[in-house]
Amino acid sequence: MKWRCPLWGHLHINFSVESQMRKKNKFRAVTSHHLAGYMFILPWLFGFFAFTLVPMAASLYFSFTDYDIFAAPVWSGLANFAKMMQDEVFWKSLSVTFIYVFFSVPLRLIFALAIAMLFNRRAKMLRFYQTVYYLPSILGGSIAVAVMWRRLFMSDGALNAVLGILGTPTDISWIGNENTALWTLIILAVWQFGSSMLIFLAGLKQIPESYYEAAEIDGASKITQFFRITLPHLTPVIFFNLVMQIINGFIVFTQAFVVSGGTGDPMNSTLVYSLYVYQRAFKYNEMGYGSALAWVLVLIIGIFTAIVFKSSSSWVYYESKEGQK
Amino acid sequence: MKTGVKKALLALLVLVSVVTSLALIVACGPPPKVTMRVAWWGNPTRDERTNKVIELYQKDFPNVTINPEFVSWAGYWEKINTQAAGNDLPDVMQHDYAYLLQFVSKNLMEDLTPYINSKKISLDGVSETYLSGGRVGGNLYGISLGTNAVCMVYDPAILAKAGITAPKNDWTWDDFVKIALEVYAKTKIQTLPIFYTDPKVGFENWIRQSGQSFYAKDGASLGFTDPALLEEFFNIQVQLLKAGAMVKPDVVYVNVTITEDQFSKGNSWVQYVWSNQIVATQAAAKKDLGIVMLPRIKNPTRAGTYLKPSMFFSVPKTSANKEEAAKFINYFLSNPAATKVLLAERGIPIINSVRDGIKTNVDPVTQQVFAFIDTVAKDGNSSPIDPPDPAAGAAEVLNAFRLTAQDIMFGKTSVKDGVAKFMKQANEILAKNKK
Repeated sequence: MKWRCPLWGHLHINFSVESQMRKKNKFRAVTSHHLAGYMFILPWLFGFFAFTLVPMAASLYFSFTDYDIFAAPVWSGLANFAKMMQDEVFWKSLSVTFIYVFFSVPLRLIFALAIAMLFNRRAKMLRFYQTVYYLPSILGGSIAVAVMWRRLFMSDGALNAVLGILGTPTDISWIGNENTALWTLIILAVWQFGSSMLIFLAGLKQIPESYYEAAEIDGASKITQFFRITLPHLTPVIFFNLVMQIINGFIVFTQAFVVSGGTGDPMNSTLVYSLYVYQRAFKYNEMGYGSALAWVLVLIIGIFTAIVFKSSSSWVYYESKEGQK
Repeated sequence: MKTGVKKALLALLVLVSVVTSLALIVACGPPPKVTMRVAWWGNPTRDERTNKVIELYQKDFPNVTINPEFVSWAGYWEKINTQAAGNDLPDVMQHDYAYLLQFVSKNLMEDLTPYINSKKISLDGVSETYLSGGRVGGNLYGISLGTNAVCMVYDPAILAKAGITAPKNDWTWDDFVKIALEVYAKTKIQTLPIFYTDPKVGFENWIRQSGQSFYAKDGASLGFTDPALLEEFFNIQVQLLKAGAMVKPDVVYVNVTITEDQFSKGNSWVQYVWSNQIVATQAAAKKDLGIVMLPRIKNPTRAGTYLKPSMFFSVPKTSANKEEAAKFINYFLSNPAATKVLLAERGIPIINSVRDGIKTNVDPVTQQVFAFIDTVAKDGNSSPIDPPDPAAGAAEVLNAFRLTAQDIMFGKTSVKDGVAKFMKQANEILAKNKK
């Protein structure tokens, strides 16, 4: 779902250009100019209608039906949603996902910001290091990552070898233990900090050097500079990253899938919500129930995104807005 | 007003372009000669061999073009289910015993009996034992591509080191526990839980030995009501775990490749597999293996092991090339050149002459498997296969069983409570099959 992020940006630009144009030609709404524009985005529009909007509408309908793929869907009203309330595994996967989001999102952002700060200076080979640090994000849900995570966190894995050297030998299988398995996934998420890091880096480069120089002259320490200059200027970027990462966190699937082989083992302790949707829809052929589960997730993500947006006015600082006042 | 018209025109334009691009995708019609789709789930070896047979077939029948569709097991059923929903199933599809009934009950599969009667598919001299798995209500919906049976493989070197004689096919679960404890006492090598990735396969053998079956005949409940045998199934494993002789659950229930598993690593003396997995198991473990049937329970009323079609070839009802599909299946099953390529990768071939024809071409491990299947086929060593899994809920029951095994092995629940909870849960899930 990473590709949505640049699109977001484009959409934003689109709207702002359009609004400017509207101001100029209030009475000439559709011009040949517009038409050309629509023709250009036609492939995207096609993709959006065929692969996003129509399937979403269909799944909304299916969520109120009993549908096993083979036979036509049968309307069942709110039965799927009522079933959820009784469904132990639904609640389990919900709690797994909340723990995952609650820890992985802040940790990933802090990590991404720290690395971005490290890169925000002139040094040799910087491009090379940036690429290297972005690599984990590309590896994403590949099987190689699953193998590597096992090698790290199995009872005879690398982590225990290191612990043994440090004098605290253990034979815990971190990846197979109910209490620690989810944490290996959270660490995996933090490790894949690349995209947030690049966005932070772009944000850091926007902060005028002169602010820091002025602060230095006034005798502000590096820490004060960070909290008084860097952080406030970064709030729009933090806001953007936070929203994107919360969404990405709630829909996490691939990592959990490859590490547990799609089972959510051990004892459903890594059964993230999307994995449960997948189990219901594609393994048990309960498309109706699966769709209902998916829409509950949409609702949850909507609520959290709305909360972050609502709260943004009190902590996100836009320089341009300040200027207009 | 004018704007409105223009907007409408624009919308129309967008719609037209969307429709044309859709039409373009759909309109790529079939070329004049026969084009068929053949689908299977596989592994690299199977994919390579099957593709080679398809090549041979196209050389022998130049008018036929075959488009192969092959993916992994999990991806296969997602793909096939989607195709089924879209009336777009291939002409020949590999099928599995677990899903056959589901597809037949939705009226998606073609009865192949006429093609066998007309000798389009020639199955002369094939024993009914090998065919019955593909039958539903007297009709034949799938033709077995190979025969399979559950077994245990063990490492003879470990047993020799512990001074234990290798198990015989008439051993009991008491013997199994004794051997496991002794191996651990003498070598510190442990025992893997019984069929830990799909424990139902293991317990099915137990319950069948008692004359019952895992699912009831109508599929609307479990086939047993007395929890005693299921409790015993878990009790012996908990006993081994408590004695330290069983591999710890946090090591067992991790998704690993075959080369990383505890048997390949030499941490378990035993592994539980279907006979068509023995070759791969041996290749991963890189050591000589012994093959033995699953042990007997106390006072069995019949053999628990059965011959299972490892997979079928089936023809969907929607196929436009059913005659050609049958011709291909026949070639696949009996053409000497084709069978020499396929060997026993999909299980032991069902046609006697094919089996004899390739016996000398296969490696020593596969010959071991041939011998094992011959043993299982002997009277008294196997009993007839149960009907295919219920149409609805089977996957959910399997997962519930898997999770129950984990709960018990991790000590989250007692054997008694775990078993009771599972039986209640399974019966609730299966109740939707009531008619």
